[in-house]
Amino acid sequence: MSTILAEAPKQLGRLLEQVWLVAVLAAAWWFLSANSTSVYFPPLSKIMQSLVSGFTTGTMMRDVVFSLSNILIGIAVATVLGVAVGILIGELERLRQVLDPFLQFVRSVPQSALIPIVIGALGIGQAPKIYMIAFACFWPVLLNTIDGVRSIAPEVRDMAKSYRIPTTLRIRRIVLPAALPQIVAGVRVSLAVGVVIMVVSEIFSAVAGIGHYINMAGSSFDISGAWAGTLLVGALGYLLSVSFILFEKGTLRWYFDSAALASHGRIKTTRSRRKAKK
Amino acid sequence: MTTVQNLDRLEERQARHTLSVQSLSKSYGEGADAVEVLHELDVRVEPNEVVCIVGPSGAGKTTLLRCLAGLLPPSSGKVMLGDQEMTEPLSEVGVVFQDYSRSLLPWMRTKENVAFPLQGRGMGRSQRMALAEQCLDAVGLPAVGRKYPWQLSGGMQQRAAIARALAYQSEILLMDEPFASVDAQTRFDLEDLVLDLRKRLGISIVVVTHDIDEAVYLADRVVVLSGHPATVVDVVDVPFGMDRDQIDTKADARFTEARRRILNEIRH
Ligand SMILES: Nc1ncnc2c1ncn2[C@@H]1O[C@H](COP(=O)(O)OP(=O)(O)OP(=O)(O)O)[C@@H](O)[C@H]1O
Ligand SMILES: [Mg+2]
Repeated sequence: MSTILAEAPKQLGRLLEQVWLVAVLAAAWWFLSANSTSVYFPPLSKIMQSLVSGFTTGTMMRDVVFSLSNILIGIAVATVLGVAVGILIGELERLRQVLDPFLQFVRSVPQSALIPIVIGALGIGQAPKIYMIAFACFWPVLLNTIDGVRSIAPEVRDMAKSYRIPTTLRIRRIVLPAALPQIVAGVRVSLAVGVVIMVVSEIFSAVAGIGHYINMAGSSFDISGAWAGTLLVGALGYLLSVSFILFEKGTLRWYFDSAALASHGRIKTTRSRRKAKK
Repeated sequence: MTTVQNLDRLEERQARHTLSVQSLSKSYGEGADAVEVLHELDVRVEPNEVVCIVGPSGAGKTTLLRCLAGLLPPSSGKVMLGDQEMTEPLSEVGVVFQDYSRSLLPWMRTKENVAFPLQGRGMGRSQRMALAEQCLDAVGLPAVGRKYPWQLSGGMQQRAAIARALAYQSEILLMDEPFASVDAQTRFDLEDLVLDLRKRLGISIVVVTHDIDEAVYLADRVVVLSGHPATVVDVVDVPFGMDRDQIDTKADARFTEARRRILNEIRH
């Protein structure tokens, strides 16, 4: 119990550490832009008004739902396919050797190189955008899954072989968990890629979405509306990555705990703290 | 020292088969690059025997053990379990790996690790867990099943790895330098655990070690590998039977004699 009380100020301190710069910048922006008459740099107060009215009277809510469902479905599809194909390639040595030149090529193409294609190839509806996000996000997940599967220690493979663990059980209980830290890192990368593709795909051909909102506001000279949309994208990206980190901490607890134990000789987790309470 | 209470409840798994290699040779690499590591070895492990394999570093002890486990196909010669040729790992033979910290899976609790191989055999969860519990008891780890392997000390992890092999109900345990990275006292305890399991369960055990004292203390027979490629240069019978004692056995003149003989063969 006492440890929790002792930790509370520490955590508050850490939170402050992360927040102060954002707060200072926001305040600076607010006051410096307060009397701005520039068309392109409206006062922050006006941007905030646009944001609020976007939600209350405008289409913002619908746009957020549209964008959010695109990116979530896209990443889910990319993750499922990337992990499945990655495990297949990682497990089948021959297949990996055959595909190796292609994979090296993929590794060196930045995902942002896809953007012109995204712009050109898209139809208006929702499905093409989901495909595009899924396509772009597939590669980081795939490559990381392959790396994760390849880096499984030979001792672990020997163990699985000598205990005659059947293939499906081995994939489920050994290969997948062993590769999980790498897989999760891949998904984290694809999250950032996904946000970019999401916005870009909506700017150029869409009837809804935050990107569409920004584009519409911009082309009707509602600059503070465009700013509001941009801020919203940032906030959305931030929220996605924070919730992903929470998810990561939950699913990979064994990984963080054992690493912490290896480096500090003691475990720093909520679980060990809970135990200490008793 | 561990007090072993629950072994009587463990299923009968007394060794019935002789594990042997017959003129086994093993080369690594292909064609002109091939390097022969083992040359025409003959080794037999009779039921309920402890056989230790010693030899200088790089002699090919691990290679031999992997062949015995069915993990590595011989280049020529045969690995036999009873009168059946072994071409893949068989459930009669369980392996305890040298690097226990890697062979125990860090995402499973210790008890799940011990029970896991049984899942592959289709044993139900409650039965698996009960057996794992028993085997953890048997190796002197009654209270750590809920912990993760990385929360255990090195010696405890190695006990857990032994428990896993026991739970798998193998009648022959193969161990590659099982106690190489634990402290001296833990090492003695684990050696005594091995002898105890052999005596009470009737299983056969093969231990690869570079520690000659350990080999003589544990073994009924010590197989000495040496040379490039390695051959069996000697097989030393150790006449101490089932009951041994860290102090008395090691003070025995026959112990010293066996030890001297092996040392000379390895050093030359
Ligand atoms: N996968 C491999 N490919 C090629 N050569 C190998 C391979 N594994 C082992 N060797 C070689 O075979 C020889 C025997 O290796 P092995 O690991 O069996 O020796 P060891 O007796 O267990 O040694 P140590 O006491 O150091 O563990 C060594 O010279 C090693 O370099
Ligand atoms: Mg070795």
